[in-house]
Amino acid sequence: MSQLQTRFFTDNKKYSVDDVPFSIPAASEVQELSNVINKLLEAKNGSHSQIEFDFLVRGQFLRTSLSNHMEAEGISTEDVVEIEYVERFTAPQPEECMMHDDWISSVEADSEWILTGSYDKTARIWSLEGKAVMTVAGHTDVVKDVAWVRRDGLTSLLLTASLDQTILLWEWNSERNKLKARHCCRGHAGSVDTIATDPTRTKFCSGSWDKMLKIWSAVATEEEEEVVVEEPPSRPRKKQKTEQLGLTRTPLMTLSGHNEAVSSVLWLDSEEICSASWDHTIRLWDAETGSVKTTLTGSKVFNHISYSPLCRRLASGSTDRHVRLWDPRSKDGSLVLLSLTSHSGWVTAVKWAPSHEHQLVSGSLDNLVKLWDTRSCKTPLYDVSAHEDKVLCVDWTDSRLMLSGGADNKLYTYRYTACETDAGA
Amino acid sequence: MRTVNLESQKNGTMSKAKEKSAKKRVVEEDDDQLPIFDKDVTEKKAGEEDDADLSDSEESVFSGLEDSGSDSHDEEEDAEEGDDEDDDDAVILDEILTKSSGVETATEPPATDKNTPTVNMGVLFLLQKQYSRVQNVKTAPKQKRKMKKGEGVAMDDGGEKGLINTRHGDEYEHDTSDEEDIRNTVGNIPMEWYQDYPHIGYNLDGKKIFKPIRNKDELDEFLDKMENPDYWRTVHDKTTASDIRLSDEQVDLVHRLQKGQFGDVNFNEYEPSVDFFTNEVMIHPVTNRPQDKRSFIPSLIEKEKVSKLVHAIKMGWIKPRKPKETTPQYYDLWAKEDPNAILGRHKMHVPAPKMRLPGHEESYNPPPEYLLTEEERMAWEQQDAEDRKLPFLPQKHSCLRAVPAFSRFIHERFERCLDLYLCPRQRKMRVNVNPEDLIPKLPKPKDLQPFPTTMSLVYIGHSSLVRSISASPTGQWLVSGSDDCTVRFWEVNTGRCMKTLEVGGAVKSVAWNPNPAVCLVAVCFESTVLLLNPGLGDRLVVSSTDQLITSYEPPEEDKEQAVTWALSEGPEHDNGHRLTLTHPKAVKQVVWHGKGDYLASVMPDNSSNLQVLIHQVSKRRTQNPFRKNKGLVQCVSFHPLRPYFFVATQRYVRVYNLIKQELTKKLMTNCKWISSMAIHPGGDNLICGSYDCRLAWFDLDLSTKPYKMLRHHKKALRGVAYHKHYPLFASGADDGSVIICHGMVYNDLLQNPLIVPVKVLKGHQITHDLGVLDVTFHPTQPWVFSSGADATIRLFT
Repeated sequence: MSQLQTRFFTDNKKYSVDDVPFSIPAASEVQELSNVINKLLEAKNGSHSQIEFDFLVRGQFLRTSLSNHMEAEGISTEDVVEIEYVERFTAPQPEECMMHDDWISSVEADSEWILTGSYDKTARIWSLEGKAVMTVAGHTDVVKDVAWVRRDGLTSLLLTASLDQTILLWEWNSERNKLKARHCCRGHAGSVDTIATDPTRTKFCSGSWDKMLKIWSAVATEEEEEVVVEEPPSRPRKKQKTEQLGLTRTPLMTLSGHNEAVSSVLWLDSEEICSASWDHTIRLWDAETGSVKTTLTGSKVFNHISYSPLCRRLASGSTDRHVRLWDPRSKDGSLVLLSLTSHSGWVTAVKWAPSHEHQLVSGSLDNLVKLWDTRSCKTPLYDVSAHEDKVLCVDWTDSRLMLSGGADNKLYTYRYTACETDAGA
Repeated sequence: MRTVNLESQKNGTMSKAKEKSAKKRVVEEDDDQLPIFDKDVTEKKAGEEDDADLSDSEESVFSGLEDSGSDSHDEEEDAEEGDDEDDDDAVILDEILTKSSGVETATEPPATDKNTPTVNMGVLFLLQKQYSRVQNVKTAPKQKRKMKKGEGVAMDDGGEKGLINTRHGDEYEHDTSDEEDIRNTVGNIPMEWYQDYPHIGYNLDGKKIFKPIRNKDELDEFLDKMENPDYWRTVHDKTTASDIRLSDEQVDLVHRLQKGQFGDVNFNEYEPSVDFFTNEVMIHPVTNRPQDKRSFIPSLIEKEKVSKLVHAIKMGWIKPRKPKETTPQYYDLWAKEDPNAILGRHKMHVPAPKMRLPGHEESYNPPPEYLLTEEERMAWEQQDAEDRKLPFLPQKHSCLRAVPAFSRFIHERFERCLDLYLCPRQRKMRVNVNPEDLIPKLPKPKDLQPFPTTMSLVYIGHSSLVRSISASPTGQWLVSGSDDCTVRFWEVNTGRCMKTLEVGGAVKSVAWNPNPAVCLVAVCFESTVLLLNPGLGDRLVVSSTDQLITSYEPPEEDKEQAVTWALSEGPEHDNGHRLTLTHPKAVKQVVWHGKGDYLASVMPDNSSNLQVLIHQVSKRRTQNPFRKNKGLVQCVSFHPLRPYFFVATQRYVRVYNLIKQELTKKLMTNCKWISSMAIHPGGDNLICGSYDCRLAWFDLDLSTKPYKMLRHHKKALRGVAYHKHYPLFASGADDGSVIICHGMVYNDLLQNPLIVPVKVLKGHQITHDLGVLDVTFHPTQPWVFSSGADATIRLFT
């Protein structure tokens, strides 16, 4: 059996070993390498307890035997191989399962509360422990997306977008557990499928089936704005209903340019909006002028996009099986940096980890939630197969929770351990 | 007449041929019809006495003449000289006569002419032309003899001169042709010309010769043949249409002539010849004239010729002793054959197969390993003769002397002969064609993307087979109608059933209004067409649609319509029902016009002209566009752009112009039973699915025959669809598969559509022998929906 000259290194001082080359059997896999490191650490520090490590060869996770990996990556076996080792990211542990009455269309969590939108025309607020706190009812149709706007002490502002073409801005007092609809945002001519709050928490953007993006003010005010869209006078009943749900609000700006329904929208920063659409494009908009800055063209319908400020990458889930990574800064149109391929159905949701530049989670119609590390694009880190039906939404919290909701009416939370080094990165 | 004949017979004068023949004719002919014979016979009657008298002495007279032939020599020669200018026959005749008889005098041919009719009558004209020569020869002597006879008398009377005179006088009295039968003057013509007349000619007096009253038919002929002992000697005379019985003499004559003998029995053809000129060579010249001078002078002309030749030889123009080319002339027979030709003769030569050389096992004393063991021998005997590796058993003999005769020798030779005989002496030319080259060049499916490739979503909810599906014009919703009497509305991108509506029967067809400004879905079940407002999509559109329907004002005069329009109210209205069209018969299909105001419904019924109805929703009007029933209507469709209407019957698709109200085209599908039809969004192409597993693509500009027939499905096609924007079409069949084809239609009229099958999509389970029942494309994405008998709808992307 051939031997390879390797040198191990790590950023974690706690687990560092001597910087000397070792001769390792070429066929050894992660488990053997991990044993080697553990042996070394034990030799160095008698109180060392067994720890599982993962290994990176030139920035790629080792998933097969060392020789196969090097052959696949085209690394010469003559030189000394530099192998980085990190503590293994432990599998996410299922924590809570929150039952809904209907399909969960969207989920967004902040540090304390989870907001879910559901096909039963309501949104719900849950505590992180899985207790239903509040039901947000007011829409006349399916709630397609939800978003937190801001929290001032005990009062929170939240948004729900619905198939009934409206977005409702709610004010919720968590202490008194009182909910009030402050504004009803009207103007879309199709179901509002996506909303995103800007980083300044004063505006939000919505994308709709009517191919439009609209920017709205997220500040709750008392006076009613003038209604731009004339309501047909023959619908007094509808009018009454909307009056109950707060003041009508009209968009600050309308961004038109997509040829098909807008499926996902997000703010890159306070100046820049990114939207994904069924017309196979991702567009970057200037939020001030409302013009298209860049268009990234894919070949399939985009279902969802997510942006990570840590690695400045855009991840997209589309109606093929792939999660694709894009660089939104690139000016030369469509450039897929990486395709993460393992799903067998449409990828309906993607979300970057808030605290890890390499990790993202994706949900798909094949009932799976996958946790990815971009350093291992062929195989995900973990498959979470808790759902019994289509996964429609995923999210992370800063408090080490992963969330996923789907067509089996269940919202699952998973606890994961973030590496300290990565958290600091 | 008859009495006369009888008399003559009694008289025993039958020995004379001429008389007999005359008599016979007389017996058979009627008096009136043949007056010519009357005359002859009367003549004969007149001379009968003499004849009878003479007949006894005839032989003697002849012999007497022969004996005393010498005295008549001079006169004979005179006659010859005088008759020289007569016809050749006569001359030859004379010569023969002179040669043969010597004694016999060839008397005047004209005289014979005079008598020929009587002489020839009977036999001679019946013996056709081939005997004519012999006839002359044969008859002549007789006549001459007879003439001699007569002349003898004449000579006795008036001498030579008188004879000659009479002869000359006779010469022009009658026609010279002795072969002609002048009883009938029509001449030598085909007698069938007179077939249609009652007569067969004219006699010498110009009177008609009539045919016998009753013609002999076959039966008479047969009876005659059986009963008449003289049948064999009876001949039919065409010119007089009478039967003539040949006398013994005549039969003899015929026999002799057949044997190539002379007609006259007494004629000796081997008479000694008489030299007219001496054969001795005289030594003295006949004349004493001196020789010419020119015979002694060399010829100047010759000299000139010789000098010319000499000059030519000197000049070398002529080579007198040029050696002859002795080498034989050959040429290459195969010079023109191309030596490189593959089929060249020499290359086509296949040598006969060679006999296999004997090996060790054939030896009389084979090495022991070639000898079969007992088991092998058993196995060998068990095997079929063809399967045996060796046709014989190797045997060991102590010495060559002990080797018996080879028992299979004949057999082996025979097989060898068969080998040689049956060996194919021809080289089979094998064309090395790569089978892939024969496949037409089609683009790779990979280059024709996008098209649906994988199943993405399954829309589950129905409990029975889903007959029909239709996508909303925006592509957000899908409507499906099922046999479980429900209509379901689905959100396309999640597979969520947004709405379920119960209707009163198994839904046969659903159709979403293609106008994006109208939110209406037509659903047909039993004999009802229901217009639903699903309330999905833009609220404004939904409400404007409702307004459109409620704003209808009934016209002043109510016209009688084939269907009743009813506005839904109360709970039904809340469910989305808007208008109910009650048809007289079960409705199978509904289809919208592209503008969304007109709606066609199909009520298949073979016995009525009320099969297709076109409804106008805004005016709530219904009309029956067809007055005649052209067959069981399967499906209909509107042209996407022009006012055309497509009606598919069992075998044909008819294209009607709705404005001109006329039939524009009739497409022959070559299918047994059309099941579905789809029109290309450009309007110039059409696909037809049929229950006999075929899909026919028509180019309406090209022909009324299918431009292409696709037989990819294993079972009956149930649904076909075109994509609105992408060059795709799909077909769903009972085999549970959906086949996606790339169907590119070019704006260039010269370029024919490009059709490439790109993908077979499988997913539906076959339930009750039914697979996919309907297919439809997403209006904007290259996605295809299929509904199946397994109660699911599937989305392939």
